[in-house]
Parts: sequence; structure tokens; C-alpha cells
Amino acid sequence: MTLVLIGVNHKTAPLEVRERIAISREQLPLVTRALAAVPGVVECMIVSTCNRVEILAAVEPSTTDSLDAELHSFLHRHFHLDPALLAPHLYELRDHQAVTHLFRVAASLDSMVVGEPQILGQVKEAFAVAHAAGSISSQLDHLLQSAFAAAKKVRTETGIGSNSVSIASVGVDLARKIFGSLQGRTVFLVGAGKMSELAARHLVQQGAGTIMVANRTLERARLMAEPFGGRVVPIDQLYEAASQADIVITSTSAPHPIFGREHGQAFLHRRRNRPMFFIDLAVPRDVDPAMGKLEGIFVYDIDDLQAVAADHMAVRSREADAAEALIAAEVERFHQWQRTLNVAPAIVALQQQAEQMRQTELKRAQAKLGSLSDEQIAAVEALTRGLVNKLLHPPMQALKKAARQNDGLRLDALCEAWALPAVSGLGEIETEEGKQDVEVNHS
Amino acid sequence: MPLLWLRVAAVLYAAASIAVFPAVLHGIVRWRKICVHLAGMAFFFHFISVVEMLVQAHQWMPVGVREVESLLGLAVAGVFFLIWWFYDAVSLGIFALPITFLIVFVPALGPNLYTFPSEGVRVGWLVVHIIALLAAYVALGFSLLASMLYLLQERRIKSKRKPAEDSWWLLFDWLPSLDTLERIAHTTLEFGFPCMTVGLAIGALLVQSTTLGAAYFLDPKVIAAFGLWFIYCFLILARRVAGLRGRRAAYLSGTVFLIMLAVLAANIFSQVHRYGPR
Repeated sequence: MTLVLIGVNHKTAPLEVRERIAISREQLPLVTRALAAVPGVVECMIVSTCNRVEILAAVEPSTTDSLDAELHSFLHRHFHLDPALLAPHLYELRDHQAVTHLFRVAASLDSMVVGEPQILGQVKEAFAVAHAAGSISSQLDHLLQSAFAAAKKVRTETGIGSNSVSIASVGVDLARKIFGSLQGRTVFLVGAGKMSELAARHLVQQGAGTIMVANRTLERARLMAEPFGGRVVPIDQLYEAASQADIVITSTSAPHPIFGREHGQAFLHRRRNRPMFFIDLAVPRDVDPAMGKLEGIFVYDIDDLQAVAADHMAVRSREADAAEALIAAEVERFHQWQRTLNVAPAIVALQQQAEQMRQTELKRAQAKLGSLSDEQIAAVEALTRGLVNKLLHPPMQALKKAARQNDGLRLDALCEAWALPAVSGLGEIETEEGKQDVEVNHS
Repeated sequence: MPLLWLRVAAVLYAAASIAVFPAVLHGIVRWRKICVHLAGMAFFFHFISVVEMLVQAHQWMPVGVREVESLLGLAVAGVFFLIWWFYDAVSLGIFALPITFLIVFVPALGPNLYTFPSEGVRVGWLVVHIIALLAAYVALGFSLLASMLYLLQERRIKSKRKPAEDSWWLLFDWLPSLDTLERIAHTTLEFGFPCMTVGLAIGALLVQSTTLGAAYFLDPKVIAAFGLWFIYCFLILARRVAGLRGRRAAYLSGTVFLIMLAVLAANIFSQVHRYGPR
């Protein structure tokens, strides 16, 4: 079986191409079934996210060349796209490269934001859809399970997803460092900017309770407060409302700071020193940096947040190197399993051959043994079967080991010694490590 | 037997003290479980050892230095478990577990060499007096620890230094949130105050049945202990009424802790609390 992966992603195709071939969640089962019906496709699945659309298929080796054209025409036909428009953005990977790519995608090493956690869920969802559509069997099932295990390993054994890399999530992380749980915390949005709305959404997702919004235009404030079930604060009650808030997010276009040190002192007095966190997303700044010097008040402006996010991104890049090594090991493990499948016919032949010999010898012995009771026949059966199994165990293990190590010479020798059919398809799954193993074994 | 259980507990505390570092510094869940289980088993054997010791040796009266040390270790471990239970803050174990091991290590070496000579106060309530005061001291210690960690965490957040600039800060990534630390500092103080009040009251009542009588209240240790109680009282009021927290609260906790150490050290000058050879 040959693995083929065809697709486009954020690195190869601009948004205007990706959006034309994106498949909605509702359409995905239908398209998957249509793909499974393409002649030559044995197993298949489709991963469709905002950053990628990829077709993964296990195909008969004999049909691989003709299937390329079939899969391309499937894409053009299905998305009604001019082949000339899509072709330059498509990438096509086979076997080892396809497996490595899938593992990297699931582990979020191929994502736009390396280490983002959503992609694993999206691949799992695509797998579930394909499973339900009946287009998954043993080969892709094992491949995907291995990819999920590798992704989990990457997430738990490296720090690739440990730090936030967006400004909004950095803000949330800092709020959690100050307040622990955000359950029931009051958030005050001053100014109705997009980024402050995003930060508020993150905080609400983490359990923040009351949301208050103040803006120069009340209508805009109302529109912003509505989705959060928040309340609008008139601008003349700004300072009174701020003193009630645990987290204040500012994004006004005021030319001067609207919160100064003296306001901070008044807030702390009213709050009996309970801490406050100011997230200042405005340029020029809305919060006087001197306020951050007060004990119990924490001020982060846009530069501070961006610097933390950039630093976390650098940490992720470093961790990505470790993750690549883990992925390489997991891909090799998958190939080892795949190679053992290739020796399955030889093992079956070996067992049949031995069974045939056992039956022949039993028949020959029956004449000499005379009439035996049922118990005696059962005992002779068990004895001969046990002997055969014990004798077959070492060559079967040797065959599997040679297959795992991709050692063609040893496999040939074993097959010749036991008069077995030659093992095919071994060299097709050849990785860098596999080549090294072969060289070592040959020497 | 009590010594055997105590030794088992000491070994388990030592293992838990090692496990707590990967559990906290690297946030490894498996180590966290190992650490809590080891500490839990250690606490169990420690508790058995203390109960056997008190029952067999002195009819519920810890009158030897090592017995009191063992009780102190049990109190530290107990407060650690309470904090873990209520705040899920294993991170304080980085301090609490090695300290418990060190406190338990000496009594685990062998039986008492020094004992409490005042036969007059060897009555059943003595154990309540000692346990209550030890619990108060331990609570105060944890409150100070939480306050210090609060300062450290506050400084980390305010400094805005990035890991790339200062990897030293990364070492403290495990610190709990400011809110959790504040609640630990406050709750342990509130827990310790009634313990200290009960401990001192029982001590004052016990001494009436001895020949010491009113002279008890002139004892340096007793005077220092009552002084500590008043400052403890002030600390709680300041936190409650004035909302004292952060740096000033940590300084005040530190002062109270120093006085507490002075109270412990006052045994040297005390007629009532002095220990002597067996």
C-alpha cells in the first residue's frame, strides 16, 4: 500500500486560494465519501482547516501513477477550480514524506503559530468523520493513532505549547498569575477597540464574571457589552467603575493618560489594597506608567505584552527542534510496524508449510501407531503442534526483526533457507535511519 | 516501635523532599503524585509514631526535646497538607517537606537525652498546650513563607523581565498566583491565632497547680510569649481592618516570626520551660 498526501496550506497558497477549497464541517463527510469512491483509493481522509486542506490516501501501489491524475482531477472537479490556478500551490508527498508531514501537522509543527493546540483536535475530528464515512481501515487507522500518540508526546515532553504567544492570551496568563482563578472577577473595558474585545473574550472564557464597558459613544459601548452580557458605564462614572474592577483593559484614542498615579492611590484606598491589573492597549498610552509603581497595581502596555509574546515565541521555536527529533523517532517506529506487515505473507507461508509437514508426518505415523483412543490422539496433536510452534518461533522473530530493520539481505537469506516467497515492498519505506541500519547490517 | 515508625517516616519525608523538586520546578504531574503519596505515607507513619510515643512513654505528655521536635514536624507536615488540600499548592512543599525532614531527622536518631524536669505540670492538658502552641508557630511560619513568596511573585510580575533577559526568573515560574499566596498567608494566620490563644491560656491555668504560681508570669519565656500574642493580634487586625497586604504585611509577618524565634530561644532563660539531662 502506498500513502499519498496532496494538499495546500498557509505556506504554499494565499488565503484567496485556501478559502476557495476549504470544506465546511457539514460538507466533509460527503466529500470524504466521494474521495473514497475514486478508483484505486483504498483508504482516505481529508483535513480541512482555515490554514490547510489536505487529502491523505492509502492507494494500491500499481495504481499510484494513474491515481495522481485522478486525485488532481478530483480536486479540480470538486472545487470547480481551474487546474492552472491550483496546481502551483499543491504539494504532493508519498510514504515516508507523507507520514512525516502528517505527524508534524498533528504535533502543530507545521502550523502558522507553532505549538497551537487546535490542530490536533481538527485532525482528530477529520479522522472521526472519515471513520464514520467508512473510508478508514487498518493502515490509516494505525497511522493516525501513531500520529496522535506522537503529538501527545510532543506536547507533554517539550515546552512547545507551554507559553502564550498572542497578546490577548499573554494578558490572560498575567491576570491568572495575579488573581489565580478568574472566576467572578470584574473586567472593565475602557474604549471599544477590537483588541480589547478579544482580550475580554479570552477573560470571559476563563470564567471572568462581570463585564463593564465605557466608551465615548454609548451605542458602541452597548454593542460591545451585549455579547458578554455586560453593562455600559457612562463616561462620567469612569473612575468610580474602575475602582470596582479587578482587570481594566484600556484602548481609547485619548492623547494623554486617563489613569494617573493619583487615581491608582484612590482605587487602592477604596479597594482596601486589593490588587488591580491594567492592560493598556492604547497608543498613546491610557495609563501613566508611574501607576505601575504602586504596590498592588500592575500595568502592562502593548509593548510589554508584545515583548512577552515574542519571547514566548522564541521559546517555542527552541522547543520545536526537540519536537522534530521526537517526531523523527515516532515516524521510524511507524515504519517499523509498516515493514512487519510486508513479511506477513512470508510468515503465513511458513506456518502453512510447517502445518502441511506436520499433517503428512502424522498420517505416516498413524499406520505404525495403530488404533489410538481420543485422548491419545489429542495428546499427539498437542505434542506435534507444540513442537512446530516452538520450532517456528525463532525464524518468525528473525523475519520480523529483519523487516523492522529494513534488512533486505537478511530477509532474502531467511526466505531462501525456508523456501518462502520473496518479501516485496520493503525498500519502498526507506528512511534515513533505515538506510543506516542496512549499511551497518551489510558491513 | 515509635522510633521505628519515626525512622520510616523520616525516610519517606526525605524521598518526598526529593520528589517535590521535579514536581514543582518542572510541573511534572507524575512526580507531583509521587511526592504527595510519599508525603502522605510519611505523615501516616509519623502520626502512628507520635501516638505510640505519647501513649507508651508518658501518658500523653511530650516532655522530652525530641518528642516536641517530632510533634513540631507533624504540625509542619499537617499544615502543608491542609494548604495542599484547600489551595492545591504543592509548591510550598519545596520548603515544607525538607524542613519537616530536618525536624524529624534528630528525634529519629534515638531516644531523648534531655527531658522536661518540672514534674508539677505533667498533667494531661500539657499535650494540648504544646500542640496548640506548636500549631500556632507553624502557622505563623507558613504565613511568613507565603508573604515572602508573595513579594517575590509581585516583583516578578512588575519587573516585566522576559526569560531571555533573565533566566533566573524562570526558576520561579512555579510560584502560585498572588491571590493564592495572599489567601494562604491570611488563612494560616487566622488558624494560628486561636491555637496560640488556647495554648497560652492552658499554660497559664496549668501553672496554677504548681509551686510556681504567680512567679510563672515573670518568666522571660512567658513574658515573650504573651508579647508575641499581642503582636500576632495586631497583625491580624491590620490585615483585616486596614487590608494590609503585600510588602508591609510581609515585613510585619517577618517581625512576628523573629519574635517567635526569640520566644523559642527563651527556653535558655526560662525556669518553667527549661529542659535538662534525664
